[in-house]
Amino acid sequence: MRRLPGLDFLHARPGLAFALLAALLIALPFLVGSGLGNSWVRVLDFVLLYMLMAIGLNIVVGYAGLLDLGYIAFYALGAYVYAWLASPHFGLHLPFWVILPLGATFAGLFGVLLGTPVLRLRGDYLAIVTLGFGEIIRIFMNNLNAPFNLTNGPQGINLIDPVRIAGLSFAEPPRFLGLDLPPTYLYYYLFLAFTLLAIGVAMRLQDSRVGRAWAALREDEVAAAAMGINLRNTKLLAFAMGAVFGGVAGGLFAAFQGFISPESFSLWESILVLCMIVLGGMGNVAGALLGAALLTILPEALRYLGDLQRTVLGQVVVEPTDLRMLLFGVALVSMMLFRPTGLLSSRQHRREWAAEDGVAEQERASLYDSRA
Amino acid sequence: MTPLLSVQGVCKRFGGLAALEDVSLTVNDGEIYGLIGPNGAGKTTLFNCMTGLYSVSAGQVLLRGTAIQNRKPHEVVRRGFARTFQNIRLFANMTALENVMVGRHIRSRASVLGAVLRGRRTREEEAAVRARARELLDYVGLGGKGRLIAGHLAYGDQRRLEIARALATEPKLLALDEPVAGMNPVERQHMRELLLKLRHGGLSLLLIEHDVKLVMGLCDRVAVLDYGRKIAEGDTASVQRDPAVIAAYLGDGA
Repeated sequence: MRRLPGLDFLHARPGLAFALLAALLIALPFLVGSGLGNSWVRVLDFVLLYMLMAIGLNIVVGYAGLLDLGYIAFYALGAYVYAWLASPHFGLHLPFWVILPLGATFAGLFGVLLGTPVLRLRGDYLAIVTLGFGEIIRIFMNNLNAPFNLTNGPQGINLIDPVRIAGLSFAEPPRFLGLDLPPTYLYYYLFLAFTLLAIGVAMRLQDSRVGRAWAALREDEVAAAAMGINLRNTKLLAFAMGAVFGGVAGGLFAAFQGFISPESFSLWESILVLCMIVLGGMGNVAGALLGAALLTILPEALRYLGDLQRTVLGQVVVEPTDLRMLLFGVALVSMMLFRPTGLLSSRQHRREWAAEDGVAEQERASLYDSRA
Repeated sequence: MTPLLSVQGVCKRFGGLAALEDVSLTVNDGEIYGLIGPNGAGKTTLFNCMTGLYSVSAGQVLLRGTAIQNRKPHEVVRRGFARTFQNIRLFANMTALENVMVGRHIRSRASVLGAVLRGRRTREEEAAVRARARELLDYVGLGGKGRLIAGHLAYGDQRRLEIARALATEPKLLALDEPVAGMNPVERQHMRELLLKLRHGGLSLLLIEHDVKLVMGLCDRVAVLDYGRKIAEGDTASVQRDPAVIAAYLGDGA
């Protein structure tokens, strides 16, 4: 763990650090809500959702080294499963705890389904096929309103049930200890619980037999196979695990929004999540979290620039949304120049980046036979 | 008793090029078997065909009577046939210890669920994997270097690490592709001692090597490949006198 300057006293007392962190995380929506308004608590909720996705994609891209540009498809599948099973669309209203595992499993199955045909592909080719997969799922969602109305097409599915846990509906929250708990606050705590769980799962996976196999696969497929690692199963497992995280995040998203449509699952979203882990640092859970936080909060913060222009200049000269893209571009280009392994990269990834051998890559291509 | 390894009539063609033509050989238990031949003779191709990296065009590779040709590499390793590579293929950015721990993959079982829940069985297995990896590092003479990055190790140490990693899979037969290539005489001597120690421990070795002195001093039997064909086989002394071998190495006029 890196030492933070000025916080040395916390390193000596891990218990105190833990208690402070927990208190901060619990108080965060109240602090943000009273300081910046309820809309920022909503932003906070989205930060957590993107963190979940970033952790999941990090398993595929960061751990196993499989570049996946269609990750948002699993988020979409999780969201649609939730919508199908808990909305007037089919008249089903199953409980939250039943749907979420179903959605995760469904997304995981599609992870395997995507993984199987792309087992032989690497690098650029893999990226292109996964990109296509992401688009196919979105286009299906857009068009499956006929002959049988599965997805309600571009209109999307509305009136999705809010989360209800132990009789407590998140839509009509009670007063609690004299405090008003708006839905965004409740979802914050729910998402926080899932994110913490995901962090634990991802970190344990990384430091295990499975995590070592993924790392070996990323470093040298041929050597990994020669060490007895089943390439097919190991790759499919990475795809499935990543997809499960995406599916869970999608289900939570559907319940939170109450409405989903194919529009929410565009290619841009896949790229955004990938940017998060690239910016934060690949192969590192902390990096994925930081990247997700930065890339969710920054665009929202940029909205203030519009107000600022109005007060100072009397009109909006540059649209904040245009500025968003510009800043994204600048941020990523400067990342590549100054910190190519991300803000908080794993040690192993930094070494991989520093290694000067494209030679290994060429050998791999020439030595490995055409069959996978 | 069925021989440990029996290669029968293996052919490998890349398009029109016949890299291996009807190669047969047998490796017995406890033997150090040398595979020599000029550059491009097909030695590494044969290794790749045996260990599942290449499919064979014809012929059979039997490991203790079971066909392993056209099997996936990981299945070959599981059956007890491990290998090293001519151009060292370590996981260069992992530590030496982690490299060997990867080699324990097939001899351990923890699944995703085990990894996440980290129950007692998983923790015990993980500790055993780590302990065994340390032992193997000691065994090949890399004790105390476990925490170093594999890619930063000295060349000779990298070769040893590759052997330790292969040993972690618990092979009965270990195929070594030019284990002393690029080594200085002292390192060669150490490697030679290590190979003898391996054989003493009951392991059979299949050795591709250019260093004739090492091959002749170490191997029980030798096969010579030239242009994808086996041109000679036998004990080292007879192979050295074989006119076909002399012709292959020195040209027909010699």
